[in-house]
Amino acid sequence: MATALASAGILLAGWQSGAHIADTGTATTTSLGSSASAAGGTTTGTSGSSSAASSGTKTTTTAATYDGTAVQTRFGTVQVRVTIQGGKITEVTALQLTDAERKSAQISSRAAPVLRSEVLQAQSADVQTVGGATVTSDAYLTSLQAALDAAHF
Amino acid sequence: MPHTSSTTQLRARTFRTMGTVVSLTVASGHYAQTAVDELESAAAVVEDKFSELDLSFSLYRNGSEASRLARGELTLAYASESMQALYAEASEWRLATGGAFTAERPDGTLDLSGIVKAHAVREAALSLEALGLRDWCLNAGGDVLVSGSPEPATEEPWLAGIVDPQDRQALLGAYPMSALRALATSGTAERGQHIWAIGGAATEFDQVSVAAADIVTADVLATAIVAGGTRTLDQAVEKWKVEVLAVRRDGTLLATSGFRKPA
Repeated sequence: MATALASAGILLAGWQSGAHIADTGTATTTSLGSSASAAGGTTTGTSGSSSAASSGTKTTTTAATYDGTAVQTRFGTVQVRVTIQGGKITEVTALQLTDAERKSAQISSRAAPVLRSEVLQAQSADVQTVGGATVTSDAYLTSLQAALDAAHF
Repeated sequence: MPHTSSTTQLRARTFRTMGTVVSLTVASGHYAQTAVDELESAAAVVEDKFSELDLSFSLYRNGSEASRLARGELTLAYASESMQALYAEASEWRLATGGAFTAERPDGTLDLSGIVKAHAVREAALSLEALGLRDWCLNAGGDVLVSGSPEPATEEPWLAGIVDPQDRQALLGAYPMSALRALATSGTAERGQHIWAIGGAATEFDQVSVAAADIVTADVLATAIVAGGTRTLDQAVEKWKVEVLAVRRDGTLLATSGFRKPA
C-alpha cells in the first residue's frame, strides 16, 4: 500500500513537472508530491468528475477546484484538492495530512522522475572523472575515463 | 582539460586489477617532478592494496580464499579475519536492505564480489590519507571516491560525469562530489552478474548511481536498488543520507535533488 502510494506520488510529481508547473522550493514540491500520492491512490471517484469537468472547461482559462473524498490510509486521513485550469491540473494540495503522511510523502518524493534536461549536465571535458557500471579491462580502453586518464597522464 | 589555475595540474596513473581498471588522479600545485614522484608512490601503494585484496577475495582466482570458501573447501569459521569481517559486513547490509543486497548467489554460493571492490577503495583511501595526500580522486572501474578538490586549497568539488548506459561515450549527467565523497554505479549493461533482481524478475532499472559519504554504502545501495527497484530506492533515501540517479529500462530517469540542476 505504502509502495503503491509512493509510486503514484512519483508518477504524479513527474506529470506535474511535465505540465510546466512553476518551479517551487523543496518544501512545496514535497507537499505536492504527498497530496498527489493520495489523489492517485485513493480518489478515483473524484478524478472521474475532475476529468469530466476539465474536458468541459478546456477552452476556458477559469480555474476550478475539486476536493477529493477523505480517505483513511495507514498514515492517517488524507484528502486532496485539485485545481484545474485550461484543462490541466495546475495545483494539488492536501487538505488533511498527518505528520506521518507528510514524512512518508517527503521520502517518496525525494527521488522523482526527471527529464534528461533536468539532470545536472556536463561535457566530458568538464569532468575530472567518470562514474558508471563497472567496466571490464577491455571496455575501459574505449571508455571516457580512459580518455581522461590519458589526458592527465 | 580545464585548468583554471595555471599552477594546478591533474595527473593520473592507472592499473588493472579485479577484472577492471583503477585510475588514481592527483591534483597538485607542486613542482612537476615532486608531484610526479608523489603520484607514482601513491599509485604503487594503491595498487599493492588492490592486489593484496584481489589475491584473497577474487572468485576468478581458483586458489583464492574466496574460491575455496565458495567450493566448500573452507568454512567461514576457519577463514581469515578480514574475510570474516567482510562477510559480517555484507550480512549486515543484507539485513539493512531487506535482502536486496546479498553476498550469496541464488544457489547459495558465498560471493562477496558485490562489496570487495568498494572495500578495496576504502582501504586504498586510508593508505592515501596515511601518505598525507589531500587532493585526489580514485576511480575503480566506475566507482569513485574523492578527497579535497581538483583545485587544491579551494572549495571546488571534483565533478564526476555519469555515463549514459544507452551510449557509453556520452554522459547522462554529472555530480559535484563535495559533502558526499563517494559515488558508485551499478548496472545490468556490462557486468550484471552480481546483481539478481528479487524473485528472479527482470530488473526495473538499467543503471543506478548512488552518492554517499562512504564508498561501501554507495556501492551496496546502488547494487541493492538495481535488485530491489523503486521499493528499495525509496527505502534507501529514507534510511541513508544518499543521492540517487536511476535509469529505468525505458531510458527515463529518477533523481534526487542532488542530481538535478540547481533551480
